Amino acid sequence: MIEVKDIKKNFGLKKVLKGVSFTANKGEITCLIGINGAGKTTIMNAIMNLTPIKGGEILIDGERLTKESYEKITFIPDAITMLPQMKIGEALQFMKDFYKSWNEERAKELLSFFRLKEEEKISSLSKGNTAKVNLLLGLGLDVDYLLMDEPFSGIDIFSREQIAEVFTSHLVEDRGVIITTHEINDIEHLIDRAVLLDDGIVLRDFRTEEVRELEGKSVVDVMREVYQK
Amino acid sequence: MKNYVKLVDFELKRFMKIYLALIGIVIISQIVGVIVESNQFMNLANGEMLDGSMNLAQFLETYWPLTMSRILFSRWFILPVGLSAAALIFYCFFIWYRDWFGKNTFIYRLLMLPTARINILLAKASAIFLMVLGLVSIQLILLPIENIIFQTIVPFDLRVDMTIREIVNGSGYYGYLQILLPTSIVQFFINYGIGFMTVFTLFTAILFERSYRIKGIIFGVAYCIFALVIFLSPFIIEVFSEFGYFYPEELFIIEVILGIIVTGISIWVSHYLLNRKVTV
Repeated sequence: MIEVKDIKKNFGLKKVLKGVSFTANKGEITCLIGINGAGKTTIMNAIMNLTPIKGGEILIDGERLTKESYEKITFIPDAITMLPQMKIGEALQFMKDFYKSWNEERAKELLSFFRLKEEEKISSLSKGNTAKVNLLLGLGLDVDYLLMDEPFSGIDIFSREQIAEVFTSHLVEDRGVIITTHEINDIEHLIDRAVLLDDGIVLRDFRTEEVRELEGKSVVDVMREVYQK
Repeated sequence: MKNYVKLVDFELKRFMKIYLALIGIVIISQIVGVIVESNQFMNLANGEMLDGSMNLAQFLETYWPLTMSRILFSRWFILPVGLSAAALIFYCFFIWYRDWFGKNTFIYRLLMLPTARINILLAKASAIFLMVLGLVSIQLILLPIENIIFQTIVPFDLRVDMTIREIVNGSGYYGYLQILLPTSIVQFFINYGIGFMTVFTLFTAILFERSYRIKGIIFGVAYCIFALVIFLSPFIIEVFSEFGYFYPEELFIIEVILGIIVTGISIWVSHYLLNRKVTV
């Protein structure tokens, strides 16, 4: 379980996170929802120790993040994390060289699923294909937790469909996924838990199934209620 | 350790194209320089002696016999060495900043590697050090070749032959080759130790900036001044005490210790910044 406990973060004088708390369980998809500037990406960066926090605590399976944790939790930011001059094959080799948890078989499977070629240069890829390579680099790791920042941002509809398909496949099964988005429509039916954020605070944290069953509302309905109040 | 070696290899490969281009410039420029400078000297000698205005002795008295050391001061030599030095200084910054900027933010990947983050710093420093050593090795290989070319063009009467050590030592008061090619093992450790210390201090300043952004520039500059003051403190004491406070041997030992301390502090601070403060 990923536990985010009362984390605070400032950028200069601006308070971007004002005590955010939530948990994300293994085997579930947790979605952080909020408009731009709500603090979603900062939370992801904080979980991965890519930006320091001012207060609070983040635990992964009860422990603080260490260098070994990067074998069991990974982050897929909205920009690709490999060098543009690299070929896809070289990027995969890089992952294989550094990560014990790299699953070559799964990487090959994803490569063929996304119809990508190893000899293609990253700089020559379309935005959609770049997003797929980025996803591949994350999903190719045998990790327990996957963090994804705006995976659907600015990509074509066919790439979106293909990426959304991954969420329902065995590729994310049993993993804990935290995903940020401000475009909920693509994945509303996939998420187990939603955390609504605004201006650095959690406005509402709920299990989507409970809301659907008990209140008869969709995630978008709850969002309307919360954000348009 | 394995990851550190892999990172060094990776960093070297990233700079390889520019590095090979630099080596190419050095080789071509220096060899062309020897040919051009030697031929110019021969043209001068032929001009002065063929028209009968000077005999050999007068010519040598006026212009002195040509040596490789003199050629080393031509722009053919100084410019590529200067260019290489400038490129490597520039690369000390570029090696970090290129990972943060641009569409592909490679720093995410580097910081998420399942290895101690200090390995990233050590790998970058090692890559720069190896590149410097590579360029110096090329220079060492080039000097005898250039010497042969020089001896082929300029006849024995008009030149003074020198060994490689003499050429390096003879690069004069400004002795830029003496810095690159130390003539003793102690001098090697001094020169390259200072170089290493400077690179780590600069890296720490860069990491301050990457951690605290605008405030970090002030912290970085302050850190560089602090490192400089610590390292030069024995000399500062010498200046203010107005007489030789330390014996030369004492000064040398103190400088070695201070160099190690400054490098150690820089690595420790960088380690802290990389683990606790750096931000993508």
